[in-house]
Amino acid sequence: MPKMTFIERDGTRREVDAPLGLSVLEIAHQNDVDIEGACEGSLACSTCHVVVDAAWFRKLAEPTEDEEDMLDLAFGLTETSRLGCQIVITEALDGLVVKLPAGSRNMLNE
Amino acid sequence: MNRVPPRPNRPVYLDNQATTRCDPRVLAVMLPWFSEQYGNPHSVEHVMGTAAETAAEEARAHVAALIGAEPREVVFTSGATESNNIAIKGAARHALRSGSDRRRIITVATEHKCVMESVADLKADGFEPMFLPVRPDGLLDPETLRDALAVPTLLVSIMTVNNETGVVQDIPALAAIAKAAGALFHTDAAQGVGKVPIDVTAWKVDLLSLSSHKIYGPKGVGALFVRRRPRVRLVPLFSGGGQERGLRSGTLPAPLVIGLGEACRLAQAEMADEAKRIADLRTRLLDRLHTELPEVRVNATMTARIPGNLNLTFPTVTAAELMARTPDLCVSTGSACSSAEVEPSYVLTALGLPPDEAARTLRIGIGRFTSAADVDFAAAALAAAHAGRPMHAVTQA
Repeated sequence: MPKMTFIERDGTRREVDAPLGLSVLEIAHQNDVDIEGACEGSLACSTCHVVVDAAWFRKLAEPTEDEEDMLDLAFGLTETSRLGCQIVITEALDGLVVKLPAGSRNMLNE
Repeated sequence: MNRVPPRPNRPVYLDNQATTRCDPRVLAVMLPWFSEQYGNPHSVEHVMGTAAETAAEEARAHVAALIGAEPREVVFTSGATESNNIAIKGAARHALRSGSDRRRIITVATEHKCVMESVADLKADGFEPMFLPVRPDGLLDPETLRDALAVPTLLVSIMTVNNETGVVQDIPALAAIAKAAGALFHTDAAQGVGKVPIDVTAWKVDLLSLSSHKIYGPKGVGALFVRRRPRVRLVPLFSGGGQERGLRSGTLPAPLVIGLGEACRLAQAEMADEAKRIADLRTRLLDRLHTELPEVRVNATMTARIPGNLNLTFPTVTAAELMARTPDLCVSTGSACSSAEVEPSYVLTALGLPPDEAARTLRIGIGRFTSAADVDFAAAALAAAHAGRPMHAVTQA
């Protein structure tokens, strides 16, 4: 089974199983990684924003317009930002590394 | 020859690079939105609001069509100065936040003040402003840009058409060079939109600024094209309600926006015919002037130039003196924002004009409402003024 690594906000690296066909958001939830995903992957929020390792970023499929629209609203956007719900694990993504961003735009929690 | 022309009934306006008359057709479209139709275009819960929203979105589509963009890539602003500020500072601040390490920002010595100052202001934020020289004909040498891009560059900003000389830069070629080096490309097209065909998609520019009052629309409104694919991201200058895709908060001034849309629609329909007519008027003016004053020199290239502009250096008399002697003629010594300054125009200086020649230089801008009689008057009045004849000898006699 493919693996992937989450780098948590305190810098801790967590390698977890990454079943084919699951999204990074779903994998995070399976492993209690602290990514919110308020809209449950329906492209209506940016709370599953992750920062993809630069080397891996180039291997991902291009984001759709809808994903870009949501990224426009993401807090702490970087040049390698994506939405976790839109990255679906394939064999080519075995070893993927993503970092959790500094914060997310949910005013009620701030 | 050299006769002093009779006074016109009203001032002859040949300063169409400073501003233009709002086209009466544009005004007619705007008026209901000042009176009965006063809804806020963001009030989408009622019919007054949605009527204004529909009209504003139609206007957005007209603006987009004129420049080859999608309607949702058009952000309404208060004018080109604001558009330029949002584009340049917004791109730079986004780069800072998103962790880009590109710091160089390239522009050109003949840009409008608001571009030069926006770029210069970013030095305080750790950016490296760079102002490229132009050739004596006013054009930027592509090799100069290529050399400047040797250092990783965040943004290149080059105007489409110069406001003093009317020189048209080769934006598609310059944008291609900037894009190949990984930089964003912005163009201030305030003087170019509606005068020369523009296609942001074919040109591959990321950001384009335009202004309404340069194209026979109302003053106080403009737009910024922000490319969606690949997505260009900016940090907005205004905090607020998040209108205009979050890039420009504030209630849309519906009458102005609708006027800008109509001005763009008319420009697109009439640009080709208008360019020919205005070019003929310019030839007529220059021929008449040269008959009486063969030493008058045109500055900058005559081939890559909008049809309405002349930038003329006179043999002996200063521009200020010529204007004082021709009170019925509205022309200018430079850009409107710097014409009150005593300093020579930095645009003319960049073209290599010494201060005394710059002081003898006039900008003439022919436009949609200029007649053959207007340019005949201008040529005769300027020739008489240069010869030192008092303007109103005929009526005084």
